Amino acid sequence: MDSSAVKLETKDLKATYGKVQALKGITMKFPENRVTAIMGPSGCGKSTLIRCLNRIHELTPRTKVEGEVILDGVNIYSPKVDPVAIRRRIGMVFQKPNPFPTMTIYDNAVAGLKLNGLRNKTKLDALAEKSLRMAFLWDEVKDILSKPGTDLSGGQQQRLCIARALALEPEVILMDEPCSALDPIATAKVEQSIVELKKEFTVIIVTHNLQQAARISDYTAFMYLGKLVEFGETAKVFEKPKSELTEKYITGKFG
Amino acid sequence: MTILVIIAVILAVIPLLLILGDVFMRGAPAISIGFLTHLQKPPNVSGGGIANAIVGTFTMVGIASLISVPIGVAAGIFFSEWATTKVSAISSFMNDVLTGFPSIVLGLFVFVIIVYPTKQFSAFAGGVALSFVMLPIIARTTGESLKLVPITLREASMALGIPRWKTIFRIVIGTGKNGLLTGILLAVARATGETAPILLTASTSIYFAKSIFQPTASMTVLIYNYATSPYSSWQTQAWGTALVLILIMLGLNLAVKLTIGRNLAGTRTEL
Amino acid sequence: MQRLLDKGLEELTALIYKMGKVAEKALATSIYGYVEDKDTSKDTHELSESLISMTGDVEEKAFNLIAKYQPVASDLRIINSYMQVAYDFQRFGRYSWDISYINTRFNQKKLCEKWVFDYVRKMATKVLEMVATSINSLKSLDPEFVKKMSRTEQEIDQMYFGFLGRLVEEARVTNECTLSSVLVVRYLERIADHATHIMEAVVYIVTGEKVTLR
Repeated sequence: MDSSAVKLETKDLKATYGKVQALKGITMKFPENRVTAIMGPSGCGKSTLIRCLNRIHELTPRTKVEGEVILDGVNIYSPKVDPVAIRRRIGMVFQKPNPFPTMTIYDNAVAGLKLNGLRNKTKLDALAEKSLRMAFLWDEVKDILSKPGTDLSGGQQQRLCIARALALEPEVILMDEPCSALDPIATAKVEQSIVELKKEFTVIIVTHNLQQAARISDYTAFMYLGKLVEFGETAKVFEKPKSELTEKYITGKFG
Repeated sequence: MTILVIIAVILAVIPLLLILGDVFMRGAPAISIGFLTHLQKPPNVSGGGIANAIVGTFTMVGIASLISVPIGVAAGIFFSEWATTKVSAISSFMNDVLTGFPSIVLGLFVFVIIVYPTKQFSAFAGGVALSFVMLPIIARTTGESLKLVPITLREASMALGIPRWKTIFRIVIGTGKNGLLTGILLAVARATGETAPILLTASTSIYFAKSIFQPTASMTVLIYNYATSPYSSWQTQAWGTALVLILIMLGLNLAVKLTIGRNLAGTRTEL
Repeated sequence: MQRLLDKGLEELTALIYKMGKVAEKALATSIYGYVEDKDTSKDTHELSESLISMTGDVEEKAFNLIAKYQPVASDLRIINSYMQVAYDFQRFGRYSWDISYINTRFNQKKLCEKWVFDYVRKMATKVLEMVATSINSLKSLDPEFVKKMSRTEQEIDQMYFGFLGRLVEEARVTNECTLSSVLVVRYLERIADHATHIMEAVVYIVTGEKVTLR
């Protein structure tokens, strides 16, 4: 690994959905201020993994999580830690854009702040603009901030959701296949913003698009059937993977 | 195919139009300001009105709403947000059973628990009986409306570090509030038109009730009494009351439609 | 299950093997011409031209595959390597023609001292062997071949410098034979160099490592 520090790491992380063991003991480190891509065939556990990183997985009924997830040296699953507070430090963008339908674009962008008690209009305006700029959406919406969030196109809605997550100024941003519901142009814009984001945040992105992982990530992890098969610098993983399973997957021989 | 559908619609709407027309024609002659503001008078004495019945109905529906709306919405939230628990599944089922309960049985129940021990018919008992009618409806429609709110919105809210209770109240209810309002309206309309439970609990009166712990007149019971009387003036007044009742229903419907319309057009949730 | 890319890779591989055959033939022809004192420059020129044209085909096909299928890992390494190997084969063709031309233009066998002639013949044989090995290792993708051949490459280098040294010391006159033999030996050394490059490509395809065997 290059000299960047470790922001987030997992130790023997296990997770179940009812009877299914979705994660079978994942130990890995996510470097700070880098983009780490997690890829693998359907059912490999990649979505479960990132949903464990911000403790969203446990909100689904009949799930269980074991093991540790350590943020800046503290295990976020320890009983002393408030999961709600963790989710303000680790933000998430979902696969399908999900802006709040009854709110304006402005309110959507600052929803996390307002609903967590921030009232100061000046601060809210500033954070709204900052996060919309970081999501490369400001220029397109600055004159229509009072329109409903759902008036925007799919790609814009997704960038609005990114801005919404950014407004809370988290330290880590999790993205679960953020571009899979978007057209190629919208995808390109989102990818552009992701590459900029790593200057301030640590980004972890689940993707099934290999070329996307190759384009935008610094590190790539390959998962299969709930286990971590390989992890390394993206260029190396895509030039000469260490595991034959990885090689088979990325060259399209299965999955 | 289209022709068949149109015919079906016309057939469905005809009874409603016939009833409205009939009630209007028979009831209109009875309507006047005096009708709405005076107390009841003996048959064939002019100047009688149904003021106490109007007040009585409003009072009892008001009491019923005060009881059933908070409890019903809370139950609906429970059915929706804790849907996977056994308790929720069982109580939801029982609630559905209650929706179809014969209202006279509900009235009988309230008679036994309130009227008989206190040896007193009262508007309060009437309100309680009506709340039993309203509660399952509100709980059911609230539950269904909230279930329609996509899970992804709840997840989005939780992922922003918003605690669960706030997610439920600000986001889930905020998104599903149109369904909630419609459900409450349905319940109010239903309660306004109930007769049997009120008969057994609030009885009737020719005066305004001085407190809610006294018997009171109501529009539905009055229609029953006047329509079954042998006096034509009273029968006309019965039709007039029916007309008033229907106009109130229409008014309620319109009000909610306008509110929902405003909500959808502006699409605003006040944060 | 065959991927869309596989068909393209098969075609590319067939093209490379064909180039290898032509390149071997060109080399053999030119060296035969030198040994038997026959004029092979026309034949080798044709072969060299066809190798140049085939290199263009390989490049076009390779870029096509990259643009369409965005290959990664072993697929990408193979395509990358094939482009370089095509250039090596093209060089074989060019050097073959150079040898034929020099032979025809300058060689007066009767003027040659015997040792010169034998030396060059010995070196040429070794170089031809090396070329055959490099093409076989490309087909088999066996990196073990390769380790053995790095020794041969050093031997050829030594032979090259050895010849020059000996020529300086022993040749009593400078004539067309000595001049042409220097050039031929120079081309042979270059051919060996490119053969080694092909084998380095084989190592890269198999292991992903970039090695220098020269």
